[in-house]
Amino acid sequence: MMAAVGAPEVISQLESAAKVLMAPPSMVSTEQRQHAEHIFLSFRKSKSPFAVCKHILETSKVDYVLFQAATAIMEAVVREWILLEKNSIESLRTFLLTYVLQRPNLQKYVREQILLAVAVIVKRGSLDKSINCKSIFHEVSQLISSGNPTVQTLACSILTALLSEFSSSSKTSNIGLSMEFHGSCKRIFQEDDLRQIFMLTMEVLQEFSRRENLNAQMSCVFQRYLALANQVLSWNFLPPNLGRHYIAMFEATQNVMLKPTESWRETLLDHRVMDLFFTVHRKIREDSDMAQDSLQCLAQLASMHGPIFPDESAQVTYLAHLVEGLLNMINGIEIEDSEAVGISNIISNLISTFPRSVLTALPNELFASFINCLTLLTCSFGRSAALEEVLDKDDMVYMEAYDKLLESWLTLVQEDEHFPRGCFVQPAVQVFNSYIQCHLAAPDGTRNLTANGVASHEEEEINELQEDDRELFSDQLASIGMLGRIAADHCIPLLTGLLEDRVTRLHGQLQRHQQHLMASADPGTVERKVLDDLYEDIHWLILVSGYLLADDPQGETPLIPSEVMEYSIKHSTEVDINTTLQLLGSPGEKATSIPGCNRTDSVIRLLSAVLRTSEVESRATRASLTELLSPQMGKDIVWFLRRWAKTYLLVDEKLYGQISMPLSTAFGADTEGAQWIVGYLLEKVINNLSVWSSEPELANDTVELLVTLVEKRERANIVVQCENWWNLAKQFASRSPPLHMLSSTVQRTLMKALVLGGFAHMDSDTKQQYWAEVLHPLQQRFLNLINQENFAQICQEEAVKQEIVATLEALCGIAEATQIDNVASLFSFLMDFLSSCIGLMEVYRNSPETVNLIIEVFVEVAHKQICYLGETKSMKLYEVCLTLLQVYSKNNLGRKRLDVAAEEDQYQDLLLIMELLTNLLSKEFIDFSDTDEVFRGQEQSSGAGRAVSAADVVLYGVNIVLPLMSQDLLKFPSLCNQYYKLITFICEIFPEKIPQLPEELFKSLMCSLELGMTSMSSEISQLCLEALSPLAEQCAKTQEKDTPLFIATRHFLKLVFDMLVLQKHNTEMTVAAGEALYTLVCLHQAEYSELVETLLSNQRDAVIYQRLADAFNSLTASSTPPTMDRKQKVAFLKSLEEFVANVGGLLCVK
Amino acid sequence: MADPDLDFTSGDAGASTTFPMQCSALRKNGFVVLKGRPCKIVEMSTSKTGKHGHAKVHLVGIDIFSNKKYEDICPSTHNMDVPNTKRNDYQLVDISEGFLSLMMDNGDVREDLRVPEGDLGKEIESKFAAGEEMLVTVLSAMGEESAVAVKPMTK
Repeated sequence: MMAAVGAPEVISQLESAAKVLMAPPSMVSTEQRQHAEHIFLSFRKSKSPFAVCKHILETSKVDYVLFQAATAIMEAVVREWILLEKNSIESLRTFLLTYVLQRPNLQKYVREQILLAVAVIVKRGSLDKSINCKSIFHEVSQLISSGNPTVQTLACSILTALLSEFSSSSKTSNIGLSMEFHGSCKRIFQEDDLRQIFMLTMEVLQEFSRRENLNAQMSCVFQRYLALANQVLSWNFLPPNLGRHYIAMFEATQNVMLKPTESWRETLLDHRVMDLFFTVHRKIREDSDMAQDSLQCLAQLASMHGPIFPDESAQVTYLAHLVEGLLNMINGIEIEDSEAVGISNIISNLISTFPRSVLTALPNELFASFINCLTLLTCSFGRSAALEEVLDKDDMVYMEAYDKLLESWLTLVQEDEHFPRGCFVQPAVQVFNSYIQCHLAAPDGTRNLTANGVASHEEEEINELQEDDRELFSDQLASIGMLGRIAADHCIPLLTGLLEDRVTRLHGQLQRHQQHLMASADPGTVERKVLDDLYEDIHWLILVSGYLLADDPQGETPLIPSEVMEYSIKHSTEVDINTTLQLLGSPGEKATSIPGCNRTDSVIRLLSAVLRTSEVESRATRASLTELLSPQMGKDIVWFLRRWAKTYLLVDEKLYGQISMPLSTAFGADTEGAQWIVGYLLEKVINNLSVWSSEPELANDTVELLVTLVEKRERANIVVQCENWWNLAKQFASRSPPLHMLSSTVQRTLMKALVLGGFAHMDSDTKQQYWAEVLHPLQQRFLNLINQENFAQICQEEAVKQEIVATLEALCGIAEATQIDNVASLFSFLMDFLSSCIGLMEVYRNSPETVNLIIEVFVEVAHKQICYLGETKSMKLYEVCLTLLQVYSKNNLGRKRLDVAAEEDQYQDLLLIMELLTNLLSKEFIDFSDTDEVFRGQEQSSGAGRAVSAADVVLYGVNIVLPLMSQDLLKFPSLCNQYYKLITFICEIFPEKIPQLPEELFKSLMCSLELGMTSMSSEISQLCLEALSPLAEQCAKTQEKDTPLFIATRHFLKLVFDMLVLQKHNTEMTVAAGEALYTLVCLHQAEYSELVETLLSNQRDAVIYQRLADAFNSLTASSTPPTMDRKQKVAFLKSLEEFVANVGGLLCVK
Repeated sequence: MADPDLDFTSGDAGASTTFPMQCSALRKNGFVVLKGRPCKIVEMSTSKTGKHGHAKVHLVGIDIFSNKKYEDICPSTHNMDVPNTKRNDYQLVDISEGFLSLMMDNGDVREDLRVPEGDLGKEIESKFAAGEEMLVTVLSAMGEESAVAVKPMTK
C-alpha cells in the first residue's frame, strides 16, 4: 500500500496521524484516534520500507514519526532478513549509527529506538555471522575516548541497547526467532562481548572516580555508566553446557545472583574491581540515585559464586576482601537513609551466598568485627524502622533493611553449629533487647517516641482486611524468636519478668477502674491511655514469647525447639518441680508471691506468665469489665495458647533425644499437669465464646484453639474427660445463648470441634451418651420440626427459619470434621439429613438464602467425603445430588426474580452448583477409596443395576447451569473460572458423553469452548484448548463422520490453526494449542491440507511461498501420516516450536 | 422430644414484625432494619478504632421494597432489629390498571399489589399477555408487601 504512494505523501499522512495521537483526549474522537493508530500499524507492516524510512528520518521534524520510522526499520529488517543483501543491512546499520551521532539533539526516546534497531540488527546478524560485532565495539570505544560527554552518553546508550537485546530477558525485542537462537546468541555474547562492555565501563568509572570535581553533565554520564555496570553484574549467566530445554526459558532479570562463567575469573577476581566500586560509592554516596546503583553493584559482587572460584581458598580471599571493604566503608560514616537498603542487600547476599565453611575460614578478628558491625547495624536499623512507623512514612526504607538483616541473622544462626560455640549469644542478646525496647512503651522502651522523645499516640481506624501483627511481622518475629532461643538464658527470663510486671500492673489498673466505676458509675471518664499502653506491651511480649517457644509448621507435628529443651534441661537441677507445678497451677496469684518462685523452670514460668494474663482477662470479664479489655490481647492469648499446646501439651518423649524433667512432668502424657491445663484451656475457650461473641476474629481464634485440642486423638482423650467439654456440647446442642450469637463460621468450626472430640477414646456407653448429647439433639430437633403436620404453614416463621439455618450450618460443620477414620459414621449420619434437605428445597423454594445454604451442605459433603467413598456410597451420594438438582431445576426453571443483592451474589446458587459438580468430578482425580477399607462390614452387596454415575449427575447439572450461563454472567471472574473448570473437566473425563448431549446443550457447550478459547483470559483459553484433544480423540474412536461433534471439531481445527499460525499468542499456550492442533489434524487431515493450501495460495511472493511451504512440510514430516500416537505427537510439538520460531513472524505480516 | 422453649405451633397473630439480633451474628445476604426500613444486607465488614479497640460493624443494606441503599455503623455488641420476612407464592389470575390479581391458597383473590417496577414487572406483564400461567412470589416484611419473583406454573 505504502509503496504505491510517494514518500512526501507518506510523511504528511504520518505526521497528521501523529498530530491526532499526540492531541489531548478532548480534542479528538476515539474513531480518529483508532484511525491514526491504524495508519502507523499498517505503515510498520509495509514491505521493504527502508527507503521511505530513511527519507522520513532525514526530513521529518515530528519526533513521533521518527520514532515510528525507526520501529518500522527494526521490524522490517527482522521480517525480511533473508531477502536482504548483507551489505545493504550493513549500510543500514551504519546509516542509523551515523544518523544518531550527527544529531545530538534528538529526543531521547527517538534516539533509544534507533539504537535499539541497531542492536537488533547486530543480534540478528550474529546468527549469520554476517555482521561483525567487533567493529561496533571499536566504534564505541572511540566514542568513549572522545572525552565529549554527549558522545560518551551515546556510547553508553549503544552498549545498554546491546545488553538488553542479548540478555534474552523480557527486555529483549520479539524478533520471532527460536529460543535456541536467543540462547546461543546470549552464550556467545556473555563469553566475550559482555566482558568487553564491562571493561569499557570500568575504564570510564575509573577515569571519573579520579576526578576531583564533576560537573552536572559529567556526573550524569558517570551515573549512566554506573547503571550499565550494574546491568552487567546482574547478568543472568547461562551455564556453558545445558540442554535445549534450559535455553527455552526467558529468564528473569530481577534478583539474579552473580554466577559468571570460568572465563570471567581474571576479570572479576581482580581486587581492583571491587575496590573501584567501594571507591565509587564513597565518592557519590550522598547522591541517593547513584548510591543505589553503586551499592547494588557491590551487592551483586557479594552474591558471586560458581565456577569462577577455582577453589575454596580463592573464595575465602575474595570474601575477606569484600568484608574488609565493607567494614571500612561503614565504619566512621553516618549512614544515609538511601544507603540502608543497599547495605543490607550486600550483607544479606554475602551471608546467603557464601558457604559456612568459607565464613568460618575468615580471619577470627575480621569475622568478629563483621558480626559486631552486623549487630550494631541491625539494632540501629531497627530503631530507625520504629521511627518510620511513628512518623507513618510511606517509604519504609529502614523497615526493609531491618527485615533483610533479621533474615540474614536467621540464616546465620540456623546453622550455628558451624561457628565457634556461643559466638552469636552476645549479638543475639543485643538484637533481642533492642527489638523489645522498640516495642515497649516508655520508660522501659521507646515505642511511639519520635527522635526527640515526644510521644505520639494516635487512634487510627483499622479495618478487617488489615493483617494482624503476628502475620504482618511474622518474618521479623521468627528471626527474633530464633535469636531469643540462641540467647535463651537471657531472653526467656527477660520476657517472663516483663510480662509478669505488665500483668500485675494491668490487674491493678483494672481494679482501680472498677473502683472508679463503682464510685462514679460513668464509664465515659475512663482514661484508656494507660490501659492501651499496657495492652500494647503485653501484645508484643506475647507475640515474641510465642515465636520463641514454638514453631508453627504447616501440616507436621511441631517439636520443642532444641535450644529451649536444652535450656530447660541445663537448669533442671536447680529447679524445684513442686514449686514449678504450684506456680503453673495458680494463675490467679502473683508469680513473685509464691515462695521459692525463683527455683522454678523458666520455660514453664513463661507459659504461666501468659496464663496469668489470661486469668486477669477472664476475671475482668466476670467483673463486667469486658468493655475495658482489649480484644487484641484476647486474640494474642488464645493464639499463644494454641501454638504452645500444639508443641508442648502431651509432649511425646519418643520424639526427643533428651527430655527436660520439668517439661515432661508438667505436660507429659498421663500427668496431672496436662489434665489440669487441658481443663484450664477448655474453661478459657468456653468463657471466651460467651463473652466475646461480638468479636469475630477473637471468637475464631478461640474456636481454632478448641479444634487444636481435639484434632489429635491423644489430646482429645483428655478433653472428653472434662465435664466442661460435655457442658459445652450440651449448651451448643440446646442452641441457647450465648453460643448461638456467634457468627456462622465460628458456629461451624465449633460443631466441627465437637464432632472431632467424639472420636476420642471413650468406653462404648460413654461414646453412645456423647453422640446422644451432641448429634442426636440436632437430628431430633430437626425431625420434630419438619415432621410437624403444619410445617408448611409455619416454615416461614422466624424461629423456624433460624432453627433450619442453624441445622444446616451445623451440617456443614460436621462435614468439615471428616477425616479418614471417621468418614464411615459421618457419611451415614449426613446422608439421612441430605434426603430431608431435599424436602426443604421444596419448602423453601422461594427463599434463595435458604436454598443456597442447602446446596452448600451438599457442596461440603461432596468436597470432604467423596474421595473416601467406595462405589456404593458414592452412588448414594450421586443419587441424592441428582435429586437435589432435579428439585432445584423444577423450582427455578423460568424463574425470574427481583433481587437487590450485589450482582455477583445473585448467582450464588449457580456458583454453588458448579462447585458441587466439580467436587463430584474430583473423585476421578483424587480417590483414596480403592478398597472401601473405611466402610468394612458396612458395605452391602454392590448396587449394580441402578447405577447412577458421576457422569449422569454432572451432565444433568450442566443441563441446568449451561442455559443460565449467559455471556454477561461470564464477566464475573468467580463464575467464569468455575464454569470453565467444570466444562473442561467434563470434556476430559467423559468425552464419550458429549455426543449424547441434547442438541441445544451440545451447541452451547461448543459455543462456550469457542468463546473461552478466543476471548477470555489466557488461563481459560488454555483450559479450553486442553478440552479439545479428548473430544477429537473421542471422534476418532467412534469413527463416525458427520456427527455434530465431528463437525464441531472441524471448526475448532480452523480456530486453533489460525490461533497458532496467524495470531500472536502467548508462548505458554503453544503446548496446549499444539496438542489440540495435532489431534485435530489427525482427525481432519484433508481439511488441514486445505487450510495450508489456502494459506500458501495467498502468498504472491515466491520466496515467502517457498519458505512457508518448506516450513509446513517439515512441520508434519516427522508425523506423516499423523496418527494418535504419543511419540508422533511429541515429535510434532517439537517441530511446531521450530515452525513458530521460523515462520511465525513472517505470517504476522499483513 | 418436645423442647419447651420452642413453640412452633402458634400462628403469627400479634407477633412482632421484628426481632433483635446481636450485630455480629447478622450475615451477608440476610435481613436487617436500617433507618426504620427492612433491608437486605449487601455488605458487612468490621473495623476497630485503634489496635485495642472493640469491633464495630459496618452495614450496607438495600431496602427490599424501595431499593434504596442505607448504611449504618454500630458496636458489634449492639442488638439490631431484624425484620420477620415471609415469602408466599400466589397464582396470578389477572392484571388490571397496574395491579396484580392473585389467588390465595383459600381461593380468595387479592388485588392490592402493584405490578413491580422494572424488568420483573415487564416480564410479568408480557408473560401474562402471552397467556402463560404464573406463580408470583410475594415478600412481606414490617407490614409491607411486594412481588419479588415470578415463575411459570409447572403442571
